[in-house]
Amino acid sequence: MTLANTRRLAFVLAVAAAFAAGGCAAVQPWQRGRLADRCMIFDADSGQVGYMTHWQEAREGSSGGYGVQSGGCGCK
Amino acid sequence: MRNSRLSAILVALAVVAAAQCLAAAGRTSAPDVVLQGPAGTPVRLSDYKGKVLLVDFWASWCVPCKTSFPALDAIYREYQPKGLEVLAVNLDEQRRNADAFLAQHSHRMTVLFDPKGVAPEAFGVKGMPTSFLIDKGGTIRFTHTGYTGNVDVSYRREIAQLLGEQ
Repeated sequence: MTLANTRRLAFVLAVAAAFAAGGCAAVQPWQRGRLADRCMIFDADSGQVGYMTHWQEAREGSSGGYGVQSGGCGCK
Repeated sequence: MRNSRLSAILVALAVVAAAQCLAAAGRTSAPDVVLQGPAGTPVRLSDYKGKVLLVDFWASWCVPCKTSFPALDAIYREYQPKGLEVLAVNLDEQRRNADAFLAQHSHRMTVLFDPKGVAPEAFGVKGMPTSFLIDKGGTIRFTHTGYTGNVDVSYRREIAQLLGEQ
């Protein structure tokens, strides 16, 4: 690769990086009103999700992977 | 020659470190932000200088705020006769959401509004809710990020301490 081509490639990469970085935005804690909206929740019924998780863990004899520490006894 | 250059670098590093320390010390002073009253009238934080102030940033969509709001109002009712002032600063973008929340939560403490989020930026809020205890001289003395019921004991101890100071 010639020097000119290397420079051209570096320029293209720099422009691409600039565009990619432009897509990043820091959402401040007080700006999360829309994210906290009910329509943004994947699982609409948290009670139902808890129930499903409980019997799934009991059936499989294992627990975890949901951000909760627990044993595999199904007694949670 | 090498020694003098090394000394110059060390002096420069010391100056930078000292400047950072001074900047950090200056940050504890509460920023003089302007908030909105319920009717849109501007309220300046420095108007409350000379009083022990609890500034709480909350929003109607923030789940722990549903617990902290009445708890802080209870603290206000208890300590207001002793000189505490509580400013509950709402950060909802839509005023109607705040009004709906306030209609469900009776309160006596002062509720102010900052829909643009200028004040939390100035205070460096890291989570919701966050409250700042400011002493009579306008210095931020205690900060609480988030809310659990256990923190009430800390609030009461810290407020009593600040109220006892001259």
